[in-house]
Amino acid sequence: MKGRAQRTELLSALGFLLPNFLGFVIFTAGPVLFSLGVSFSNWNLQQTIPFQWIGFGNFVELFHDPQFWLYFANTGYLMLGMPVAIAGSLFMAILLSQRLRGIVVYRTLFYLPSFTSGVALMILWKALYNPDFGPINAMINGVTHALHLKATAPQWLLATKNLLGLDVEQVRMVSKQFGLGARDALILMGVWIAIGGNNMLLYLAALTNVPQELHEAASLDGAGKWASFRNVTWPQLAPTTFFIVVMSFIGGLQGGFDQARVMTAGGPAGTTTTLSYYIYTKAFEEFQIGYASAISWILFAMIFVMTLVNWKYGSKELNY
Amino acid sequence: MDSRLSQSTQKPFNVVAWWRGSSRYAVSYLLLTLLALVSFAPFLWMVLASFKPLEEVERLNPFPTVWHPENYVKVFKQIPFARYYFNSVFTAAWVTFLQCLTSAMAAYAFARLKWKGRDVVFRLYLATLMIPGVVTMIPNYALMVKLHLLDSYQGLIVPSAFSAFGTFLLRQFMLTLPPSLDEAAAIDGGSPWQIFWDLILPLARPGLITLAIFTFMGNYGSFFWPLVLIKSEHLRTLPIGMLFFDTNYGRQTNLIMAASVMNIIPLIILFVTSQKFLVRGIQLGAVKG
Amino acid sequence: MRVFFLAAFLCLVLLSLLAWRIRPKVTEKGKIPLVWVSDDNPARREQIGLFNRLNLKYNLRLDPSNTGMEKVIVQSLAGVGPDLFDCYDGFQLSAYVKSGIAWDVTDELGKAGVDVAKDLWSAAHPTIMHEGRVYGFPTNVAVNCVWLNKDLFDKRRVPYPKGPMTWEEFIPLAQRMTIRNAQGKVEQFGLFCDWWNWQQFVLQWGGRLYSEDGTRCTLDSPEAIAGVQFLHDLIYKHHVMPSPVEEAAMATQGGWGSGTITFFGGGKGAMALGGRWWLCTLRDYKKLHLGAFECPHGPYRVSRGYGRATLINRNSPRHQHALEFLKYEAGKGYNELINHQADALAPVIRYSYTPLYLHDPEFPEEDYNAVWRDAMKFGVPDQISPFINGQAATRILNKQLDLVKNDQKSAAAALTRAAQEINKEIRKTLEKDPLLRVRYLKLTGGRKP
Repeated sequence: MKGRAQRTELLSALGFLLPNFLGFVIFTAGPVLFSLGVSFSNWNLQQTIPFQWIGFGNFVELFHDPQFWLYFANTGYLMLGMPVAIAGSLFMAILLSQRLRGIVVYRTLFYLPSFTSGVALMILWKALYNPDFGPINAMINGVTHALHLKATAPQWLLATKNLLGLDVEQVRMVSKQFGLGARDALILMGVWIAIGGNNMLLYLAALTNVPQELHEAASLDGAGKWASFRNVTWPQLAPTTFFIVVMSFIGGLQGGFDQARVMTAGGPAGTTTTLSYYIYTKAFEEFQIGYASAISWILFAMIFVMTLVNWKYGSKELNY
Repeated sequence: MDSRLSQSTQKPFNVVAWWRGSSRYAVSYLLLTLLALVSFAPFLWMVLASFKPLEEVERLNPFPTVWHPENYVKVFKQIPFARYYFNSVFTAAWVTFLQCLTSAMAAYAFARLKWKGRDVVFRLYLATLMIPGVVTMIPNYALMVKLHLLDSYQGLIVPSAFSAFGTFLLRQFMLTLPPSLDEAAAIDGGSPWQIFWDLILPLARPGLITLAIFTFMGNYGSFFWPLVLIKSEHLRTLPIGMLFFDTNYGRQTNLIMAASVMNIIPLIILFVTSQKFLVRGIQLGAVKG
Repeated sequence: MRVFFLAAFLCLVLLSLLAWRIRPKVTEKGKIPLVWVSDDNPARREQIGLFNRLNLKYNLRLDPSNTGMEKVIVQSLAGVGPDLFDCYDGFQLSAYVKSGIAWDVTDELGKAGVDVAKDLWSAAHPTIMHEGRVYGFPTNVAVNCVWLNKDLFDKRRVPYPKGPMTWEEFIPLAQRMTIRNAQGKVEQFGLFCDWWNWQQFVLQWGGRLYSEDGTRCTLDSPEAIAGVQFLHDLIYKHHVMPSPVEEAAMATQGGWGSGTITFFGGGKGAMALGGRWWLCTLRDYKKLHLGAFECPHGPYRVSRGYGRATLINRNSPRHQHALEFLKYEAGKGYNELINHQADALAPVIRYSYTPLYLHDPEFPEEDYNAVWRDAMKFGVPDQISPFINGQAATRILNKQLDLVKNDQKSAAAALTRAAQEINKEIRKTLEKDPLLRVRYLKLTGGRKP
């Protein structure tokens, strides 16, 4: 009897799943397999080269491709803003979690950048970063002028300099590249967008879930504000933090395309080209579909590892 | 806050305690206001710049000496901005509708029906959330080519009509409804189809609204797919139109800013009117939207 | 809920109907539609209008949103390509031919009585001829000269310069025309020059991008380096040209086209290196009084010659019809229109040797038309190599030139590096492409890359 009921439920479940499942097979599963296959071929839109299966040829070439490593480093560099953004989100969430008047207004203002993010905001930031008439440099110049410093304001999106002194043509650090440049500009914008966004809301939710008794117990023990945060709040937030870190990593690894396309064209001198932008140029400008697919699978592999980590160590409640 | 206040009113007025208490809040308010300013200032600059004549964009004074609202009219004259608006809203509306429908159906199967292997299948489903877009984009483009959907509304809409995220979000909502509900309805002779439409969907309305907002704004701002898919000018969505406007007429900073302002206004309206649902959705979904 | 979903669905269907109603009308009834992918230059509309008036059978339409080689190739291979598309240089032509979308029209044009070798400016040949075969017809040809803003010269009481002159003679002049304000910020530049003209400087100093047979990149030669170094010095040593930072800081009221043309049109510089096609935009700046003279030269008196050509998509079902457009481009009406619009120079030589060309009654002020025509004989087209993907070469070159332009790397270091990388890319291409390898070995006499 129970078996039959289950069977009929299975049938209707199939019916309900069908549309979504079809879409999934056609637009996700199929393409993933297709792309895996292509990454082992030399598929190229220039027709003089005959199609061939080349095994791991693309992957071998990839590891010897200096551009790949440079763009990999760029991708990594752009993720340096993550810790700042996450810490900032937590800080803002703590501020907001106090039951103050008008908190909704503040929350709205904080959330605005992440909600409206997109091409329009990138175009806006391009203007803000303008080295000459952009308001950012106007402020910097104002400050340095007032303090009688002889510093020149950074050239932002036009400069290859960066805070780690990464060289332009090799993955190494050189002192003359030390400074502020396009990558830092993108990081700064990224932090501005992300800091009051979803991560802050997640922290806010987690903070309201921290049982009040724990705090009271801690303060009875004579713990100060900081100690109370350190010993009570922080451990309670650990699953949320873990989740946010993993998701930011995943986002960061595949990020950078929109900024590169809208703001910098991957430049100056390729310094804002990330892996996803590289894939785009390889596929849609140089027609090396096989090679581009191989890069996308390397990216996928890294993301997959992060996902596994999340599943293994992450909190079940949060991601499931 | 309330308990603290009432305590202090009962006791004799203590200046030190009052100062300590309110200064703590003062610091919080100060910090909050500062942060809010930082987060809002770029928008302010954008709005002000959009009203300036071109020569004044280079000036440091953020305020226009003479306001030029006709900049907004000029945008419509230089590019078919209204058309871009229509295209963005039109495709996003279709996607939202289809995604809500397919996601709700799948979520119902995962949350309310019992069948063997359900949780395994769901986990697999969830795993697809992690597949980066760059992996599927080249094959999907090839697929659009094969289906002759390149440069069409259908090509913009159909591939986005199915979502693992939406399924996940709505499943979470539906799981919170008591299981006795559909059991009772089933005993009354309701088929799963009826239960879905008449019982579960109405109850899952907050979830649906949340998903609808997410999907709409996600599609309204979607950049990559329209960029590779659309070739005709009359099919361009806002982000693509903005990009071409910026590359072709990019030196007219005031007009670009006017276009940007118009681009984000619908988003702001949407956000202000639907905050409640959004915040809840994000916290429930715990997935970047 | 059912009602709600149904209502939403109906609304969307209505919206779709609306979308269907407001779609642009593609064709006029009874006419054969042709689509031409080209840039949104206002001059293009008139050229199309004339074609449609002369050929009542057809309805030619401009598609400005799909310019860019990659888009044209991918879409043409996918069967949704245009009928006609533009080709800007030999790089592109070889890519179009190799991907199999350019239609070989050698015989068709021959039958129509067009002698490509004799009738056309030689600077136009690389855009249509690939290994002895003809794949299209030039839309226009151009050569770089120097524009001058007469009012700015009058203001400083400097006589208008005349060519020919060397760059050395040019620099003091440009410096006189560069004006700074009290804070030292440049308010008027002596010269504007787009960096994509860099090959001109390589040519003028006697360098080459590739060796004669195209098998090797030779940018690391002292001549090539000296040329690019000079371009760099125009910014950083002689201070007559804006640096990228100064350029970014200029906002201008733009018409079609951006950057340098609009800077010059906006009166932010006294002179600018460019082609006659700039007039298409500059005529819109009503108050501008213009002059032109032959481009200053280095050790060699050459200038960069370039142009566009129209090719036919071989995969288009209407490619036979598209041929009519190429014939139109060879005819009197089109050539005179090009010269009149100042969309550079008409492709067929003889139409530039008419009184009408020298003195267009509609633009009596333009008394410098002979300059552009006479400079054509110095025009040298950009070089290409069949052994490397043009996009890959461009990516490498742009990166290195970016570094020079931003004063981050010396021309010597940058070009040496670029040559190395390009040669490496050539080796990689040869490994992958057996047919090319055969050709390469034939050219080099069996010497392996």
